[in-house]
Amino acid sequence: MATTLKPETLVKKSKADQKTAEERAAAKVARKAANQEKRKVIFDRAAAYQKEYTDAERSIIQAKRDAKAAGSYYVDAQEKLAFVVRIKGIMKIPPKPRKVLQLLRLTQINAGVFVRLTKATAELIKLAEPYIAYGYPSLSTIRHLIYKRGYGKINKQRIPLVDNAIIEASLGKFNILSVEDLIHEIYTVGPNFKQVNNFLWPFKLSNPNGGFRTRKFEHFIQGGDTGNREEFINALVKQMN
Amino acid sequence: MSARPQVSVVSTSGELSSTQLPLPAVFSAPVRPDIVHSVFVRVNKNKRQAYAVAENAGHQTSAESWGTGRAVARIPRVGGGGTHRSGQAAFGNMCRGGRMFAPTKTWRKWHVKVNHNEKRYATASAIAASAVTSLVLARGHRVEQVKELPLVVANEFESVQKTREAVAVLKAIGAHKDVIKVIKSKKLRAGKGKLRGRRFTQRRGPLVVYSQDNGLVKALRNVPGVETSDVKHLGLLQLAPGAHLGRFIVWTQGAFESLDSVYGSDSTKSIKTAYTLPANIISNTDVTRLINSAEVQAAVRPAGESTQKRTHVLKKNPLKNKQVLLRLNPYAKAYSAEKLGSTKVTKSTARPSKGQFSEVLKN
Repeated sequence: MATTLKPETLVKKSKADQKTAEERAAAKVARKAANQEKRKVIFDRAAAYQKEYTDAERSIIQAKRDAKAAGSYYVDAQEKLAFVVRIKGIMKIPPKPRKVLQLLRLTQINAGVFVRLTKATAELIKLAEPYIAYGYPSLSTIRHLIYKRGYGKINKQRIPLVDNAIIEASLGKFNILSVEDLIHEIYTVGPNFKQVNNFLWPFKLSNPNGGFRTRKFEHFIQGGDTGNREEFINALVKQMN
Repeated sequence: MSARPQVSVVSTSGELSSTQLPLPAVFSAPVRPDIVHSVFVRVNKNKRQAYAVAENAGHQTSAESWGTGRAVARIPRVGGGGTHRSGQAAFGNMCRGGRMFAPTKTWRKWHVKVNHNEKRYATASAIAASAVTSLVLARGHRVEQVKELPLVVANEFESVQKTREAVAVLKAIGAHKDVIKVIKSKKLRAGKGKLRGRRFTQRRGPLVVYSQDNGLVKALRNVPGVETSDVKHLGLLQLAPGAHLGRFIVWTQGAFESLDSVYGSDSTKSIKTAYTLPANIISNTDVTRLINSAEVQAAVRPAGESTQKRTHVLKKNPLKNKQVLLRLNPYAKAYSAEKLGSTKVTKSTARPSKGQFSEVLKN
C-alpha cells in the first residue's frame, strides 16, 4: 500500500488548521448559548419596562381622579427630562450662548440632545433660549429618535446602534444591555442617565416636514419656534425625525 | 558559517575541473543597494574636470549708466561712438554680451569625500551581489550559459598574450555572449556629448579580475566591453556601474583565493588596515522557512481573514424593517402579537360619588 508523500510543511499546516477550526467551532457554540441567554434577559426586561410604563401612566391618572374626588388637587411632578433642538445656525451667536450651546453638544443646526432638567441645566437652557426649541419628550418620541437616528460614541467615533452588542460593550458596566434598556434609562432619568446620554451622539435631525413657523426666531408663545414648547416638542420632533 | 559553499574552477578550455575552492567571506557581506547607491553617487564625482567661464567675460567694456532723464532704462551702457556697440546695454546677465548670472568658478567643490569604511562597505556589498545570478541577469549581463556564478577561471588565463587566445577563453567559459551584447549595443550618443568627444555609447561587459598580470590586461585591452582589474584595488565604479548591483565578474583562481586575505574572513585578517567585513543584521535569510518553523508556529495565533468581514455597511431603520427591529428588541414580537399598543383601558363602572358620602358625614 503506497501512501502518497505529503510535504512536511503541509502536514503541519493541516494539523494546525484543524485545531483552530475545532477551537472556532467550540467558541461558536459557547457564543450562541450565551447570546440566547442574553436575549431572554433582554426580552424579560423589555416586558417589565412595558408594564412599568403603563402602570406609571395609569397611576398618575388615578391619583388625579382620587384627588378630584377628595376635593383636593394633584400637582404634577416637575419635568425631569427635556429634549433640546438647536434652531439657529452658527452665524452671529454671542460668546456666552455659544459656549452654552457647545456645552450642550448642540454644535450644528437641527441637532438635538436629551437634557436632565436641574436648576443648573435650566439656567443654561435659559441662556441659550433664543437659539433652541425644547420641550418634554414622550416615550414614543424617545423611542423613535433612538431607533431611527440613534448613534453611539464609541472610541470617539459615531457608530450606528445596529446591534445590542454595541450597546452592551460600552454600557454593560451600568447593566444596560439593549436598546430598550437605553430608552428606559433616558425616559425614567435613571441613576446612569449621564453616562447613557453622553454615550448617545447628538441626534442629527432633518428640517421639519411642513416647515417651521414663518418667523423662526420669536418665542414659541409669540408665534415663533424658540424656547419651551412643553408637549409640542413631540410634534416638532415627529416632523424633524 | 564554518562550512562555506564550494566553487568549482573552470579551465581555460571550458570544462569544470575537479578543484573546488571555498567561497570567500566577502560573498556573505550584506547586499545594500542603498549604501552602494549613495557611495557610488559620491565617488562618481571624483573624476570630474573643472569648468568655468572666463573670469573677465562680459566685463571687457567700460560701460556706465546714463542715469535718469534720458527715456532709457538705467542699465549701464557702452560709451563712445561710431559703432553699433555704442549705447548698447552691458554688464547685466539680461544684456546681450553681458556677463552671466553667477559666473561659474573653478573653485567649485568638484570632489566628494566618502568615509573610508563606507566605501569599503559598498565594494564588499557589490562583490557579494556579483555572486547572485538574479542580480547579474537583472543588470543585463548575458550569463545564461555560464556554468556557475561566481565564475572562477584557472590561472593560465593570467598568462595569455594574444587577444585572439583571450577571446577564445572567454568563448569557452561562456562569457563571450556578454561581449557580443556590448558589440551590438554600440550606438551614437544622444545629445551634445556627440560633439564633445563622447560620440558612441555601448554597454558594459564582463569584468576580469586577476591577481597577477602576465599579459592578460594587454590581451583583453582591445576587446569591447571587457574591463580588467587587480584584486587588491577593486573599484565600486566597475563593480556596480550606474549604482546597479550585479556586475558579471570573471575571477582568476589566484584572485579568488586572495579575496579572503584582501577582505578578511573568519580565519584570515584583512590586509586592509583596521578592517573587518560588515556584519549581517539577519544571518538566516530564508524568512519563509523561519516563519513556518515549529518554534514560530507554536507561538503564533491563527491568521485572520485576508479581507475583513463587512458586517455593517448600511444602517436600516428598525421602525420600518421588521428583522432589524427584532434583532434589537426581541420583545417587539410579543408586543405586537398581544396588540399591547392598542389596548383599551377598562372603564371602571364605579361612578364618581355625587357627594353622598360627604352628606352622610355632615349629618
